[in-house]
Amino acid sequence: MVMVVEKGKDSDAIWRIDALRKVLKEVHSLFVMFYGSIRAMLEKDPSGGLIRSHLYPFIMDYLSDFPVGKKLQLPSFRDCLKERGTVQMLTMGREAAIEVQSLVSVLDSCAGNSSCYSMILFHDLLVSTTLSPDDTINLFTYAVLRLSPNALSSGVNSWSYIRRGSTSSHFVSGSALTHSGPVSEQIYHSSDTSPVGNNINRVTRALQHGKWYKGKDGFLVTDIWGVDVGSLVCATPTVWLQQTEEAMYLCPYQFKSLTLILLIPVSSILNGEQGVALVKQQLLENASLKILKVEEKLSKGWGGENAYHVSGYRYLLVDGDRNISRASPPGKVTTLAKESLLALSKLRDEVDLEKSRAKRDNAGCEKDLEVSIRAKNNAWAIARITGGKELYMVLEKASETLLYASDAVEKFSNRYCNGAFSLD
Amino acid sequence: MSGKASSSSQPSIGLSGSGALSHIYIQYPPLRCSIPESRGLHYDDGTKLLIPSTSNQFVLFTQQIFSWKTVPFNPLATSTSDSIPEGPILSIRFSLDTKLIAIQRSSSEIQFWIRETSEAFSHRCRSDSENILGFFWTDCPLCDFVVVKNSGLDLFAYDSVAKSLDLVEMRKLNVCWYVYTHESRLVLLASGMQCRTFTGFQLSSAGIVRLPKFDMAMAKPEANSKPVLAAEDVYIVTVYGRIYCLQVDRVAMLLHSYRFYRDAVVQQGSLPIYSRKIAVSVVDNVLLVHQIDAKVVILYDIFADSRAPISAPLPLQSRGFPRSYSSSSRSSGKDGECSEVNNKIDHEGIIYGDNWTFIVPDLICDAIAASSSETPSVLEFLQRRKLEAIKAKQLCLGIARTVILERRPVSMVSKAIDVLVSSYSLSLKTGSYFKGIKTESTSSGVAKTSVARSSTDVSTSRIDGTSIRHESTAGVDSEYPSRASTFSASESEENASSAPLRTDSRDLQLGGGKVDRVNLTGAHSSGPTDNPVFVNISEQQDSELTSPAISPDEMYKFVFAAVEEEMVGDPSYLVSIIVEFLCSTNMEKIKVHPNLYVLAIQLLARNERYAELESFVTNKILEPSKEVALQLLESGRQNIQTRKLGLEMLRQLSLHHDYVSLLVQDGRYNEALRYARKYQVTTVRPALFLQAACSSNNSQHLAAVLRFFSDFIPDFRTTSDFTTYYGILNEMNTSVAATSF
Repeated sequence: MVMVVEKGKDSDAIWRIDALRKVLKEVHSLFVMFYGSIRAMLEKDPSGGLIRSHLYPFIMDYLSDFPVGKKLQLPSFRDCLKERGTVQMLTMGREAAIEVQSLVSVLDSCAGNSSCYSMILFHDLLVSTTLSPDDTINLFTYAVLRLSPNALSSGVNSWSYIRRGSTSSHFVSGSALTHSGPVSEQIYHSSDTSPVGNNINRVTRALQHGKWYKGKDGFLVTDIWGVDVGSLVCATPTVWLQQTEEAMYLCPYQFKSLTLILLIPVSSILNGEQGVALVKQQLLENASLKILKVEEKLSKGWGGENAYHVSGYRYLLVDGDRNISRASPPGKVTTLAKESLLALSKLRDEVDLEKSRAKRDNAGCEKDLEVSIRAKNNAWAIARITGGKELYMVLEKASETLLYASDAVEKFSNRYCNGAFSLD
Repeated sequence: MSGKASSSSQPSIGLSGSGALSHIYIQYPPLRCSIPESRGLHYDDGTKLLIPSTSNQFVLFTQQIFSWKTVPFNPLATSTSDSIPEGPILSIRFSLDTKLIAIQRSSSEIQFWIRETSEAFSHRCRSDSENILGFFWTDCPLCDFVVVKNSGLDLFAYDSVAKSLDLVEMRKLNVCWYVYTHESRLVLLASGMQCRTFTGFQLSSAGIVRLPKFDMAMAKPEANSKPVLAAEDVYIVTVYGRIYCLQVDRVAMLLHSYRFYRDAVVQQGSLPIYSRKIAVSVVDNVLLVHQIDAKVVILYDIFADSRAPISAPLPLQSRGFPRSYSSSSRSSGKDGECSEVNNKIDHEGIIYGDNWTFIVPDLICDAIAASSSETPSVLEFLQRRKLEAIKAKQLCLGIARTVILERRPVSMVSKAIDVLVSSYSLSLKTGSYFKGIKTESTSSGVAKTSVARSSTDVSTSRIDGTSIRHESTAGVDSEYPSRASTFSASESEENASSAPLRTDSRDLQLGGGKVDRVNLTGAHSSGPTDNPVFVNISEQQDSELTSPAISPDEMYKFVFAAVEEEMVGDPSYLVSIIVEFLCSTNMEKIKVHPNLYVLAIQLLARNERYAELESFVTNKILEPSKEVALQLLESGRQNIQTRKLGLEMLRQLSLHHDYVSLLVQDGRYNEALRYARKYQVTTVRPALFLQAACSSNNSQHLAAVLRFFSDFIPDFRTTSDFTTYYGILNEMNTSVAATSF
């Protein structure tokens, strides 16, 4: 896959290559999750008609999350304190964690002997997963885009950085949908009339907006995957797991701010929708109480959207091993000066380069790294990498010394990272 | 001779042979005593003395601590004797410190005997119309001695200087008869035409509580006839520290139960009875309803709100004496003389469920495990046992293992674990878990006098719960809510010379006890008020193990570790169970053995659930410890992320030496050096660093490390390490030079 980005005169069009690469990777991973590998599709239809008919609406739907105003706004230097392709975790106390774990074991065993997978989110943060790391990222990304309570309420006051700020998501719910709708409609028709398109009855638009609803029983339903002819209920979506290459039914359940995603192996369910309904019922019977309890525990400890804001700091913390990131809330990042962000973006570009060089040179050995640069506006842009963890930071206290900056990082590391970045 | 007794060798009841068909046993052999010319037998439940009187003296038997484990117990209890003035003995009770003896001589006179000085004084009713119904000593702070008369209660304080009784308080009311047990410190006064209106007082060490007046339910056999409630039909029982009153309704054939609260008396429900005559006793908080006509005992656990018996009705048996059944007939001591000293009833074979009939304890385990649809309640029941704590504990452990091995639903196992953990937590709070102090056979401090043990054997065998006879001094003894037994003592005229006197060997704790208030009520008070009347008892329990509670360490050792060895297949089930266990312990704020965490890591790693393992560790579900860290490092051989977690944990635990050594092992010697300098870690040998630097084949690194140690350790330059590696460095440099030229 190739992404071509037109570089405009706009000053905002200053990109970090790695961030753009991650966009491409993300859309690819999501596509594969829903439709299986592209290679397999191409082998099925070497002319490429099949793959095109799927890719086009999919990518259009995906990109509809990016526009600001009438333009596509790809991740720019302003997004340098975000990391696409990572998961944001909820920090919770031991007691809540044990409750969650107890719930997880109920979820994973609710389809009898066949092993299910589960993922639990609270607001837009990951609470627990039994999926492999790659599958976790994909499903998490999808959940935050389309399934979480915020996504369902169509992004009024969305704060997750996976989705855009409030302005853009407002746009998404409104104009983007009306705009992207006809486009894919055309595709749909054209593929219908084309010779290859005839054998595909329907192209499921997995990323279509505003198509998930919360059912009476708490499960989220969508008609994207069509309607089961026999029972007239919405067909349960299926996804492919990257690790096991298994097809799974996707059953999201929502209770208040808690979203549970249950993945049931398609192979384990013999009678289709009926079987899925049975498992869902089982889940309600076995887990309802625990869900209630977990929701209560997590709500009690919930620090709000700005829970992970550390005053005085604008930071991004990435754990590359676990694909986890945590960052200052987007609202706080916007308070930074353009110069600061540009400086950090540039610094991250350099660090990316250094990282890939180190990777090429000697795989396995982790490189430790510490860079602090002074921006034009006298802000400090800092990067520290140690033991696979990365910390990026902007300190905008003008005219402070390097010693001050270094101390500030040390303090941050000790308080919020268990001293992971405290070198000496 | 007053008491009628039945011999111990009643015709056996239907069930011949097997000694294993009963839930309730009487301890055998019994306590025997033989006193010539015995005239009457009294049992004093306040001091737990069995008092047979002779023409000019009476002998008291101190009872010894009974330990069911040491079957057969020692039937040779020592006795003491006191000589008191001649005269009729209607009733007799020792003061709680056993310094005084109160003897009712007539319906209007009580004589007091001071044992030390052999002095006597008397107390008489003021008016002739007053009749003394009974009396008892109390440890209530307001008074020492209570006289129940047909006109009310008189409360007296004993003045040891003036050697007289001072009237403290009078409570005027009409009394037909009364019931009192020392265990509950509760006196119930019956009044009214049918004697079914009750006024109750609790005279506990906390003061006097007056209970609200209440009526007991009585069915009418036909219109216009009004049955009169008799004292024999009312029993005060103490179960799990709660006080109940049980009342026989002979017309309805029901046993009504009432629970006492501070400000209310609440009817709790009724149990059916199947016999015209019944008796009630409590053993280890299990209610025994003796259906005397049917000659069987039905067991109830009142705690569980079920009205269903916990076992099938089975007869009582005498342990070690299988062919002879003690009769459950009650003595006909109509004259209110002391009656039955029942033998120790051992509840060895209490079994839960309807279809179980085995009483051999080892079989109970299997029986329970085989039909444990209600495992949590079985465990709950077992955890409440005090009498046979060890056995109950072993059963619990066995059950816990079995349900896990059988892979019962997690929710069920979780409930079972909850039961065990909360029981442990409770035992910690009450202190019974750590109680290992034995208070063996306390002699009452009464001078021991030898008793002629020859010609006459006073027979007092038996069982039945008639012990709660108000007028007699027999009654539910057992100062502990947890260990009660019935005593029945009677003497048999015809066997006067041969029948044995049996009693149970019990501990006699006079004044020496310490506080162990069993207060199970808190969590379960179900009445209209949260203010139940407790049995205010401060006594120490004996035996080395008083609680079947299972500590987390024991859970690990005897359940999880044991089960893990036997378990086959997917270990994730066991992980779920461990999580449930952690859930319970966390709720009760109980610490868990680190080995359990280690086990959890092993199980997760075996399943290659590394991502989950990580969340277990980062969320501190597995609390950090050196053991956990080392296991993470061990399991991390297959998974680098897990290894990192272990390293990280070592660092956070400030285990500097281990951390630095491991960094060096990983070849991260630069980091290790920085860390060593920061935390002054000098225990790791420099050679390790030097070797690591050397194997990197980088002369600059080696030089840096050498330099570091030269600075860091004062006389490093004189060590052999320095010379060795300095030599290597030089070699490296020359070889580099050689290749570059």
